[in-house]
Amino acid sequence: MEAISIEGVAKSYGNVRAVESLTLRVPAGQVVAVLGPNGAGKSTTVSMMLGLITPDAGSVEMFGKSPAEAAATGYVGAMLQDGDLVPNLTVREVVGFVRGLYPDPMPLDEVLELAGLTDLAKRRTGRLSGGQAQRVRFAMAIAGAPKILVLDEPTAALDVESRRAFWAGIRAYAADGRTVLFATHHLEEADENADRVVVVARGRIVADGTPAEIKQRAGGRAVRFTLGDQPAAGLERLPAVSAVEVEGEVATLHTADPDTVVAALYGTGLKVRDLEIITPALEDAFLSLTSA
Amino acid sequence: MLNYLRLELLQVVRDRYYLLFSLAVPVGFYFLWSNIFGGDRPDPVTGLAAPVDIMVSMASYGALGAALMTTGVRLAAERRSGWLRQLWVTPLKPGTVIVVKIFAAMSLGLPAVILVGLASVVSQGVRLDLGQWVAITALLWVGTLPFAALGTLIGSLVGPEAAQPITIGCYFTLAIAGGMWMPLSVLPAFIQNIAGGLPSTRFAELGRAVAAGHAPSLTAGLVLAAWTLGLGALAVVAYRRATVAA
Repeated sequence: MEAISIEGVAKSYGNVRAVESLTLRVPAGQVVAVLGPNGAGKSTTVSMMLGLITPDAGSVEMFGKSPAEAAATGYVGAMLQDGDLVPNLTVREVVGFVRGLYPDPMPLDEVLELAGLTDLAKRRTGRLSGGQAQRVRFAMAIAGAPKILVLDEPTAALDVESRRAFWAGIRAYAADGRTVLFATHHLEEADENADRVVVVARGRIVADGTPAEIKQRAGGRAVRFTLGDQPAAGLERLPAVSAVEVEGEVATLHTADPDTVVAALYGTGLKVRDLEIITPALEDAFLSLTSA
Repeated sequence: MLNYLRLELLQVVRDRYYLLFSLAVPVGFYFLWSNIFGGDRPDPVTGLAAPVDIMVSMASYGALGAALMTTGVRLAAERRSGWLRQLWVTPLKPGTVIVVKIFAAMSLGLPAVILVGLASVVSQGVRLDLGQWVAITALLWVGTLPFAALGTLIGSLVGPEAAQPITIGCYFTLAIAGGMWMPLSVLPAFIQNIAGGLPSTRFAELGRAVAAGHAPSLTAGLVLAAWTLGLGALAVVAYRRATVAA
C-alpha cells in the first residue's frame, strides 16, 4: 500500500488555481522533495494532504485512510510553515505533550537529542531564537514516531550550520523506513536529501524522478575540451551533438548523450585535451522545467 | 485528553495577566469594597449583609473574568499562530480540543472563588455552612459555562487584535450590568430592567441565593440554560467554521 496517495486533487482560491489536478503516489519508506518556486502550490498541496484544506476535487489517502483518520490514528507528524509555539511552557513540556498524544511515541530524551534540544529542554518557548523554535517544531513533528513525516519549508529560518544538523536529523529519522515528504524551494536541499524530486510549477507536477533524472530530463549535458588552434568546423556534425560553442580555445558540445559524443570525438583525429563531461546544476534543470 | 488539560491549565496559571485580572483584582476589590461598605445593613435587593454580598459579587466577577479571558483571546491567537493547525495533525480531535478548553476555562475561575471566599472569612468574619461554601463553589463553576461559550464564540469569529477589546468589553458590561461592581439597586433603572435577562445577573444570583440560605430560583436556572444553549450553539457553528478548512 502507498504511504501517501494523492489522486487528482485541485484547489482554487477565487479565480486563482493554486493546484490543478495533481496526482502523486509515495511508497512507504521514500524521502520525497516537492520542489517548486514560491506560489507553485506546494503549501496548498501539503495542507490538503494533512486535511487542513479540503480539496475542490480529488482525494488524499495515507495508508488507505483519509487525512483526518490518519491523523487520529497517529500516522502523521507535520512541521507547518506557520507554527508559532504557545507561551508560558518549557520546550520539554511542549514536546512531551505532543509526544503523549501518539500511541507509540519515541522516548522523550531521544526526541530532544535528535532535534538538538537537550540543552534547551527547560527553557520557556517564548525565549527561543527563530532557529531554536524551528527545532522545537521539528521535535513536535517526530515526537510521536509517526510513519509519515510532512515538512513544509522546514529550514526557512535556519542558518547554514543548523540546516546541516536539521537534515542529519531527518535522515536519521527516515533511516528507520519512515516516509518523509518535504516541500522546499531550495534546490540543493532536494538534491542532497531526497530519493525522489517532484517539481511543481503553477499547481502542476512538471517533473518527477531521482535528482539525477531531473537533471538529465532538463537535457543540457555537455562535453567540453580544449580545442587550441585546431579548426572547430565539423564538430556540429558529430552524432548526438545538439549545439557547439567555441569560446577562446575551449569547445563545448551540447548533447543528451555524452558517451556517444566522446567516442565520436576521438574518431575525428583532433587532439583532445582537458576533456570533461558537464552535468548542469539542479538549479539550471529546475529553471528550465519550471519556466516553460 | 488529561495531558491537554494539564497543558492548557499550565499555560494560563503561568500567565501574569491571569494572575492579575482573575485573582488579584477580585480579591483586592473585595478588601476595598468590604471595608468601605462594611456593616451588617442588608442590601435592599439581595437581602444580604454587605460583606457576604460583596463576597459573592467578587467571586462571580473573578470566575466570569477567568471564563471569558482564558477562552476568547487565546483561541483567536492560537488560530492565528498555527498552533491549532499543529494540533489537528496529531491524534487530538478538534472536538476534544474545544471541550478541554471550555472545561479548563470554567475551572480557572475556581481559584478566584476560593480566594475571595477566604478573604471574606479572614477579613470580615463571614460565616456560612460548609454546605453553602461547597454549593457556591460548585454553582460558580457550572454557571461559567455560558461565558466560556461566549469566549469561544468571540475567539472563533475574530482575530487576536479584535478579540482582546471585544472580550474586555463583554466582561465589563456583563459585570457592571450584572450587579457585580456595585449593587443593582444603585444602578440606573434601564439597567435594572434588563438585568434579569442577563446571564451575569443570574450567575451572581446563584451565589447570592445560596448565601442567603435558599436554593436559586428556577428563573435563574432557565435564563442561564437559555444563554448556554444559545451561545453554545453559535460557538459550535463558529468554531467548526473556523477550524474545518474551506
